[in-house]
Amino acid sequence: MNRRARVSLWLAVILLTTASVLLWLSNPQPSRLLSRLWTRQDATWAAMQSRGTWRVGMDPSFPPFQSLNDAGQPVGYDVDLAHALAAQWGLTAEIVPIGFDSLVDALIAGRVDSVVSALPYDPRLTRDVTYSAPYFEAGVRLVVRADSPITSTAGLTDAQVAVEWGSMGDMVGRRLQRAGGALTLRPAATPDEAVAALVNDPSVDALLIDQVSLRQAQGAGAAIVAIGPALESNPYVIAMPVRAYDLHTQVADALSRLRADGAFDALEERWFGPQRAP
Amino acid sequence: MNPLHTLRRQWTARPLRLSLAAFALILIATAALLVLRPRDQVPLGPQRAVTTVNPKVGIHTRLTDEVEPWKIKRTLEMVREMGSPWIVEYFPWAYAEPQRGRWDWAHTDLVIDHAERQGLTVIARLGFVPEWARPRDSSPLYLDEENFADFGRYAAEFAARYAGRVHYLIIWNEPNLALEWGFAPVDPAKYVTMLKVVYPMIKAANPDMQVLAGALAPTLAPPGSPDGMNDLDYLQAMYDLGAADSFDILAIHAYGWYSDPDEPADPQVVNFRRSELLRDLMVANGDGHKRAMITEGGWNDHPRWTRAVRPGQRIAYTLRAYELALAEWDWLDAVCLWVFRYPWDAKSYQDYFTFVRTDFEAKPIYEEVRRYTHGERGEGMP
Repeated sequence: MNRRARVSLWLAVILLTTASVLLWLSNPQPSRLLSRLWTRQDATWAAMQSRGTWRVGMDPSFPPFQSLNDAGQPVGYDVDLAHALAAQWGLTAEIVPIGFDSLVDALIAGRVDSVVSALPYDPRLTRDVTYSAPYFEAGVRLVVRADSPITSTAGLTDAQVAVEWGSMGDMVGRRLQRAGGALTLRPAATPDEAVAALVNDPSVDALLIDQVSLRQAQGAGAAIVAIGPALESNPYVIAMPVRAYDLHTQVADALSRLRADGAFDALEERWFGPQRAP
Repeated sequence: MNPLHTLRRQWTARPLRLSLAAFALILIATAALLVLRPRDQVPLGPQRAVTTVNPKVGIHTRLTDEVEPWKIKRTLEMVREMGSPWIVEYFPWAYAEPQRGRWDWAHTDLVIDHAERQGLTVIARLGFVPEWARPRDSSPLYLDEENFADFGRYAAEFAARYAGRVHYLIIWNEPNLALEWGFAPVDPAKYVTMLKVVYPMIKAANPDMQVLAGALAPTLAPPGSPDGMNDLDYLQAMYDLGAADSFDILAIHAYGWYSDPDEPADPQVVNFRRSELLRDLMVANGDGHKRAMITEGGWNDHPRWTRAVRPGQRIAYTLRAYELALAEWDWLDAVCLWVFRYPWDAKSYQDYFTFVRTDFEAKPIYEEVRRYTHGERGEGMP
């Protein structure tokens, strides 16, 4: 290395050191700066541990996922899920009622630690929040009677398919028609009427309906089953602060444990009734 | 001189010169592409006309933040194919005049050109204040009286530029809401002052331009509410303050929320027929000779929103609203419902006002309106 190169190297080292010191001194919380630079400390998880609670934002107006009982207490699938997750960490879930359209804002503002509220995944928000893996797929399903020979959308040729008029299921049905499917749509005024058409009318071969309505119908005793994956996906996820690295990992692990030990199935049966396998 | 060093310098200098030359060429070519690129790479296509059995059918488009020309064209094609001769579109002042006196009409031209080519009649909504025309850190919906003439100059420029092509301008939006009034106290007097400043400037620039005022949010806000003012009270206040000479057509917002469009009008209820109460006020104040237009309205079918209806109800109510306006409201020219499509998903109840998804897939309501305007109504309805 010649003299000029050595001088340049020393100058670079001096400049870098000076800049680091200035940056350190200019920051009101140097330790916080360091932790951000050199570690991935999760302030949300740390606050939950010191507080002993997991503050969960929820709009209690969407049964059976969440609603208020006669005593004004939040109840439902998401409430039980929140308590089950918190219990895994030795914490208590504190339900914070918030209007649906303000849930993410409340999370970003730090009013809650997470949102568990039948919240659909929104890729546009991933700079501000982080999501769990989906815990419930609420999208449109192809549904048939339990004894139907239809096993996929390919079997819908000349089929009569019930839909709720104007719904996402209706839209998927029209999409299948545009793609060349020779199916006839049988619009009904409500999801219940669409289910009833499949259950009671032999001329109706199938139904396109969202998973929530399907599970409610199954829970009420309808002998119908979903076949194939969701034709229009609408996954519900848990939202967390974007820097909640530890919490994100803890949620992922806890959801896996709940899934593995059958707690998820029990949760679904509790709020929707028994499932039916295709 | 060491011949080895000379050789090394030659070998290193030549590629350096070549690289610099190539880099310069790339820079020049990129600059040329940026400067010379056509503003609209999408051909306008042949002149088209709207086919419809109901000439009052309209829709509010949302092209304000739609950047890509093909999406603007596709949106307006689909509006035409739906059988809607009318659109309301928002043209923000801040986009057209980002700096005082520096005009940029590129996006507005694009929308007007394509709308005209599709045979659509544009009702242009004006608002959204540029930073230079409002106090620092204020809302883009805030405007001081001292800047009303600046807004009037924008409206006049718009009216002159599109003379013979755009015939309707809406002055501001929902001024009876604090949100839409820049979080300033709702004040009919200030809005009427705005109209009195802006209206003559528009007429001087283009005497044929029809000026719409009002566009009031239907609300039952109690007196003194910081959020807004009852639309019926607000319109009466406008008349009391002498607004009648400063607009040609009343713009009405007619949301049905969870009510059937045939539910009777009632001052204590927000429903579609509340439009009739606004019309009654026009007549009572000697303005019965003027026309009215619905420039926002409709129903929402979000599964969780408390003001929403089922998707099938939304379709039925929408078709009935168009039909009702045609059959019963001879004082009304257009029913432009909210909203055709968003450039991106709002991921909230707002998405359930749209007729077409962000990816241009038609929702069932779009297809049912298209069937209605083409005389195919009734088939397949539950």
